[in-house]
Order: sequence, then structure tokens, then C-alpha cells
Amino acid sequence: MADTWRNWSGSVAFRPAVFAEPDCEDALASLLRETHRRGGTVRCVGAGHSASRILRCDDTLVSMKHLSGVIAVDRARCEATVRAGTELETLGEDLYEHDLALPNYGDVATQTIGGAIGTGTHGTGPAQQNLSQMMVGARMVLADGRILEIGRDDDDLLRAARVAMGTLGALSTVTLRLVPAFDVERREYATSTDATLANLDALNADNRSFDFYWYPRRDDIKLRLVNAVGGGTRRLPYARELTRQEGYGHKVIPTHSGIPHRFEECEYALPAAAGPACFREIQQRIIRCWRHVVGWRVLYRTVAADDADLSPAHGRETVTISLHQNHRLPWRAFFADIEPVFLAFEGRPHWGKKHRLRADALAPRYPRWRQFHRVRDRLDPHGTFLTPHLRRLLGITGP
Amino acid sequence: MNIGRRRWVFAAGCVPLVSTGTEPAFTSRDQFSVLNTGASVANVRIAVLYAGRAEVGPFRLGVAPRRVRQVRVNDLIFPVAVRLGEPYGLIFDSDVAVVVQCTRQDTGRPLGAGAMTNAWPLRCRA
Repeated sequence: MADTWRNWSGSVAFRPAVFAEPDCEDALASLLRETHRRGGTVRCVGAGHSASRILRCDDTLVSMKHLSGVIAVDRARCEATVRAGTELETLGEDLYEHDLALPNYGDVATQTIGGAIGTGTHGTGPAQQNLSQMMVGARMVLADGRILEIGRDDDDLLRAARVAMGTLGALSTVTLRLVPAFDVERREYATSTDATLANLDALNADNRSFDFYWYPRRDDIKLRLVNAVGGGTRRLPYARELTRQEGYGHKVIPTHSGIPHRFEECEYALPAAAGPACFREIQQRIIRCWRHVVGWRVLYRTVAADDADLSPAHGRETVTISLHQNHRLPWRAFFADIEPVFLAFEGRPHWGKKHRLRADALAPRYPRWRQFHRVRDRLDPHGTFLTPHLRRLLGITGP
Repeated sequence: MNIGRRRWVFAAGCVPLVSTGTEPAFTSRDQFSVLNTGASVANVRIAVLYAGRAEVGPFRLGVAPRRVRQVRVNDLIFPVAVRLGEPYGLIFDSDVAVVVQCTRQDTGRPLGAGAMTNAWPLRCRA
């Protein structure tokens, strides 16, 4: 048995039989081939930032951390091919050397690019899609060790592979559609909940990236705007400026990398139009029922629609609402109490965060659920990448 | 010259759970003020002790020279949020002498009143 493996927050802990850290694609392929030959199960792990049980595997756990770095850059096409285990923070710095950048980041940049793609990790902005949409090609190691090249014209494969939670195969390298390196200005403001909601449409429309934190212990809000320097909403008479920072996107957009305080998180993606009403209901419920133990904030963001089969933003402009709870305070009952509110507003859970849904509740929320399964069954017919939890999650009862 | 003591304690904590009125101005709360009359920054560490569970902290707080800093207990969330509606006590340890005062605002009833309670200084050996 290997040592106990723990995710970042510590709430997912298990002891795999085998823990491997391949340093090249060939070693990864050999490992998968051997596991497949003996009928075992394998999961690939990135940075371990996810808090859901999609990582848990009692058989073979593969760390991708040595499969890291930029392989090739095409500046003219604004594309780069990188190894899937590259951390976003490092990737941002490396791409900057080529005058390129990821179009967006989440709040932290400690994830690997493969993990971010596989879980639908996102930042905020009405025109900003989740990070999986950058992937326009990939090399995927299948369970039997064969290499599958996914090209930019393989629509069905790309749609399935972009948010696949590692259930099709192991991404070895990914080709990313990027943007020229850009600098931004981040401004943060304190204001009231009522003022924020009254100005929500304008804030969304006028800023490249806008989100807000709601603080349950004060019922007030921090607005966060990220724009080209000098751009975005300039006049906010209802808010008090807290901070202002300028710099390149990879330095300024992720703000909480390395945060020392561990937390658990539950996030749902909702139709954008339902965002304000859903937030209001959650706000009132937290004040009424959960304020005594919930001190951490609620995060409200936007994500542009996409067409990945299992993307929480599939087919609709999206608002995401995230609940955060200190990892040492009760979170199960809190999240479970709020989840019905998310579901009533047609919510889809973030695959890498806490939620309690299973296939019967998930399938109706994803119009391309069956198409995803057809691709998955074809690429991994023996279920080498499926754990019992993933089988329940995806509703797979066969091999 | 620093006025006060390096260690203070406050035993009667319990943040009222119910608030009325516009927040955050009228949020029910316990709040403490730390007055640093000296010429150097006061580095204050705060432990929160409960009636029925393990203590949490330290919460770290810096107070600039010749300044007062007011903090709501409700806002102490790092490293872990202080529980509201539960009895608690505070121990303040500062590297220089400070003065600490604790207050409570309870807006749970429309005509509710705030009550003020002092923290108690303890003499520390150097």
C-alpha cells in the first residue's frame, strides 16, 4: 500500500494500493497498460485542489506532477502545447515569456491545466468561458496504453474530453487556444448587498471580469472588477474603494493561490437570469439558519456558455454561486441544506467541489449526457478509469 | 509611553444571533477596541475559549502606534470563524502594553439597547 493521499482541504483522504509519478508519456502508458491488463482501476490526480470524491481510488493513483512544461508554442496562432500536469501559475509565467497568456483564471492558480480542464474550472466574466474551452487538441493515453490524438476538428471527442473528470483516458498533453499577454487593473470595493444587486446588470455588462463576495456575518459585499487598465465601470458612488492593483493577467487575476486557511466549497452553476433570485434566497437562508457557524463568504461569478458535454455552463449563459466553509467547522449539513435551493434554480454542481447528486439527478441537467457516455464507452470500454464513486455519479453499471 | 497591560481577558462573550435594521450598521455584535498608546506596533494574539468546545485561534491583529483598532468578534473568521450565539471568552496577549475594551450591540429587538463591558487587565511578568 502507498501512503495516505489527501486533497488540499483534507476532507478526501484514502490509501491507494499503488501511487505512481511517471515522468514521461511512455511511463504513463506503461502504467495504464499494466493496470488495464490486470483489470484494475486508475485515476490521475493533478494538484489535488478538488474537494469531490472523483479522485478517490483504492487501486492506482497517478500523479501528473512530473508531466509538466511547455512543449511547443505557435505565437502566430496564439496556441501552445503543454504537458497536462503543468500548474497554472507556472504555465502563466512560461507563456508570458512567449508573449501569450491564458484568457482567464480562477481565484487560485495552483491547479494543473489537465485538472482544470477535466473539472470545468472557471474564473468570472460574462464573455469568459471555463478553462476547458481553451483545449483545441490533446494527446490522451487510453487504458490499454494507446495514444489517442484529438484534433481541432474532432468535435465529438473535444466536447466529451473538455470536462471529463479523467474518465475517458489520461490527458498527456493539451494544445491550448490562448490570447496575447495582457495587463489588467484589479479594483475592489466595499458596498451593500442592496446596492450590488441594484447595479448587477451594469456591473456585468461593463466589466471584463466582475464578481462579488458576500459576507454573511455583516450582510455586506466586496465587489471585484478586473479590466484592461482604465476600462470597466469607473464611477461607483455606492461603493468605497478598497484596493487597486495593476499587472499582467497571470499575476493579478488569481488572488488566493497559497491561501493558508483550508476550506470546503460547494458550487452550483445556474442559468444567468436566475442568479440574483437564487442568491437572494441563499442569503436569507444563511442569515436565518447558518450564521452561527458560517463566517466565510459566498462567491457570485459569471461564466460564458459553452458546448462541452458535461460542462456546468453547457448551452447557457451562467452564474455560479459558491459556498465556502472553514474545513474545521460543520460543512456537510450546511451544504446539504442549501443544495435544494440550487436545484430549484436548475443548478448544475461543480464537478470538483462538494455536492450530493448522483446520475439520476444529473442526467436530466445535461442535454448531451448520452453523447458523452457513447464516447466514454468507446474509449474506456472496460471501465479502467471508473471508481465505484464515479460509476454512481455517471450511472454506469456495466463493465 | 505605553498605557495599559500586555494581557487582557474578557469572559462574558456571546454574540447575539438575531439582528434587526440595516446591516452591517445594525448587525448584532460583540466588538473589542485595542488602544495602542505607544510608539511601536502592538502585535496582539487573541485566543477564543468556549464553554463546550476546544479553543480556537490565535487570531492575529496588529495595531499601529498611537492608534485604536476596533474589530467585531463576528468578523474573526481566520483561521476559523468564531461561533455566534455561544458563550465564549477572549484572552488578548500583546507584545506591548495596550488597553482593551469590549462592547456589545444587540439589535435583536426593535428597541434593543447596547450594553458595554470592560475587559480585565492581567499583570504579566516581563
